[in-house]
Amino acid sequence: MTLRRTRGRVPAAALAAATAAALALSGCGAGGDPAADELTVVVEGGGLAELEPIADLYEQETGTAVTLVELPYDGLYDRVQTELGSGSVSFDVAALDAIWLSAFADGVAPLDDLFTDDVKADLFPGLVSEAQVGGAYVGMPIFTNAEILYYRTDLFEDPQHQADFEARYGYPLAPPTTWEQYRDAAEFFTRDTDGDGQTDLYGTDVKGAVETEWLATVSQTGEEHMVLDPERGEVTIDDAEHLAALDYYTSLLPYAPAGAAQLDWAGAQNLFYQGQLAMMRFWGHAYTQTPDDSPVAGRIGVAPMIAGDGGVAGVPGAWYLSVPAAGAKQELAKDFIAFAYEHNELSIDTSLGLAARVSAFESQADVAGREHYPALLETLNAPATRARPATPQWQEIVDTVLTPMLQKAVEPGADNAALLKEAEAQIEAILR
Amino acid sequence: MNGIETRRRSTKAILLVLLAVILVLYGFPFAYLLLTSFKPPSEAIAVPPSVVPDVWTLENYTAALSKEGVVPALVNSVMTAVLSTLISLVLAVPAAYAVTRYRTPSGRVFVLAALVTRMVPTIAVGAPLVETMRALGINDTSFALAIAHTTISLPLSIWLMASFFEAVPDEIEEAAKMDGASRIGALWRVVLPVVSGGLAVTAIFTFLASWNEFLFALLLTSVRAQTTPIVIANFQTQFGLDWGAMTALAAVYSIPVILLTLTLQRHIVAGLTLGAVKG
Repeated sequence: MTLRRTRGRVPAAALAAATAAALALSGCGAGGDPAADELTVVVEGGGLAELEPIADLYEQETGTAVTLVELPYDGLYDRVQTELGSGSVSFDVAALDAIWLSAFADGVAPLDDLFTDDVKADLFPGLVSEAQVGGAYVGMPIFTNAEILYYRTDLFEDPQHQADFEARYGYPLAPPTTWEQYRDAAEFFTRDTDGDGQTDLYGTDVKGAVETEWLATVSQTGEEHMVLDPERGEVTIDDAEHLAALDYYTSLLPYAPAGAAQLDWAGAQNLFYQGQLAMMRFWGHAYTQTPDDSPVAGRIGVAPMIAGDGGVAGVPGAWYLSVPAAGAKQELAKDFIAFAYEHNELSIDTSLGLAARVSAFESQADVAGREHYPALLETLNAPATRARPATPQWQEIVDTVLTPMLQKAVEPGADNAALLKEAEAQIEAILR
Repeated sequence: MNGIETRRRSTKAILLVLLAVILVLYGFPFAYLLLTSFKPPSEAIAVPPSVVPDVWTLENYTAALSKEGVVPALVNSVMTAVLSTLISLVLAVPAAYAVTRYRTPSGRVFVLAALVTRMVPTIAVGAPLVETMRALGINDTSFALAIAHTTISLPLSIWLMASFFEAVPDEIEEAAKMDGASRIGALWRVVLPVVSGGLAVTAIFTFLASWNEFLFALLLTSVRAQTTPIVIANFQTQFGLDWGAMTALAAVYSIPVILLTLTLQRHIVAGLTLGAVKG
């Protein structure tokens, strides 16, 4: 008997193994080698564009290359949490969402020396207070967002609509500034526009799958401690203001498309761009992102967020630059952050077009295409606009309590008071 | 006879309908992804959504493939998956062979222990792996990621290969030894060719585990070794979802796997059968 020859296979396998070994020894990837004196910044995909011009200028002026590592939103949180927890970090600077600051405060270096009086004076009050955790400044805001009011100018400026609205509600049709006006306008525009018996235009959307818009509504009541007061360790979600906010929020359901429980930011934005909504409360950056082929392109107006009894209020959606305490290049990292603050206006000419400094927003007051800046300024400067509570458990509270509660609240027959009571117990359990 | 024939036809018809339903359930998400990748941006996000594009365009493919980092990520994915597959096979084949041929109590414990490692949540080993790779100075390399992926696929590879080796009668090896082959020679020249279908099955499972893996790629790579699943996820940001480009890149990323499966289809079927008939 002769053994079957398998030489053809053996060399192939050996070659593959050798290739593997060569690749292994080279230890390389396809992205190129990083320089030894560079700074590495981890950033979420959406905020990448805001940092690119600053990073480019920093390299040009200092010779230090800045590598921006783009990660998905949830992935960035996991990555930072893992590395800060392990005490071994691969990045020198992290761009952190405002709601993560408390969770990561113990793992990042204080930036108190960067927060001079001049710096603080040129930042929105909510951002200055949000940046401070446990008495130390843990992040420098790089850009901020807030929800503002979007409305269809073709609908609001239509003479027939204006006459009909005034006849029905007793005051002129204009972009709403209060809860009542918003509800009236939402009701007025909810209609069947093509006569097929089906409603095809809704006054507004109601988002059940995200919590921030309801939190803004809470602040609009004048509530000073949305959901909880971290300093006193008291859960406030079951008080009269939160109930008023939830009642108002859900009172808009008859003027919104079905499926509110699953509606998130992307879904609401799509509905508005498709021309199915007359109004929308949404983050300011979207003003410059209307697709060219959208039926509402060129017909969108913006105004500050609406007001409840407590006045105009939004929720600041800021991102901060922080330095890991375990980082090897802390001074260089701080230098980059100071540079980013100094050249904050560079973020204006990017895809998001957002900045953090008040002066950067004010510089665009009369610039065509920046009509959303005054609306953002007024909303962010409003006394009732408050940052989300500084607690390390905030993300958990959002994911396991607030969002599920809202999803139940937007279902028919929901008992808002009971839902808030239940949420209070759940949050207390999390904080314990 | 007519009654039996009618019953047979009815059963066959029901089975065909059932098969069609299952096929649609499995196939629709991918078909929808593929069709969406050919829609213009506004149609990709339309509410309510359409299944078949009104206007067909390659715009999303152009946008996705021209995005910075996409092509290097595709190369990294291939390198990592190939490396992980090779490492996994090189380790799994001798391990599985030794366990099945020597049949020692410690071998059985070893195989069980290998399975236990599958029960540890991936995230639990994430932080130690990050530290280890950094200490070794190989963080953000395809090699480091391939090793991490091997920790996922190796237990399954050992179990799969063990089941395939079990199906090979000892007599074949005995005959080879009588012809003068050493044990390793018999393994290399006789047993491995017999279980080549099993090798193909193991290789494809290992390749797929690495190809689609997300968490280790997220934790262990930054710029040089970032793989495509991370890049695909980056199309959804806090400020918007580029649905069209995301589906286009996901479609492109599916092609190598589909081609690999089709190419190795014959071996896979043979391999699965080999494993299934063991006594």
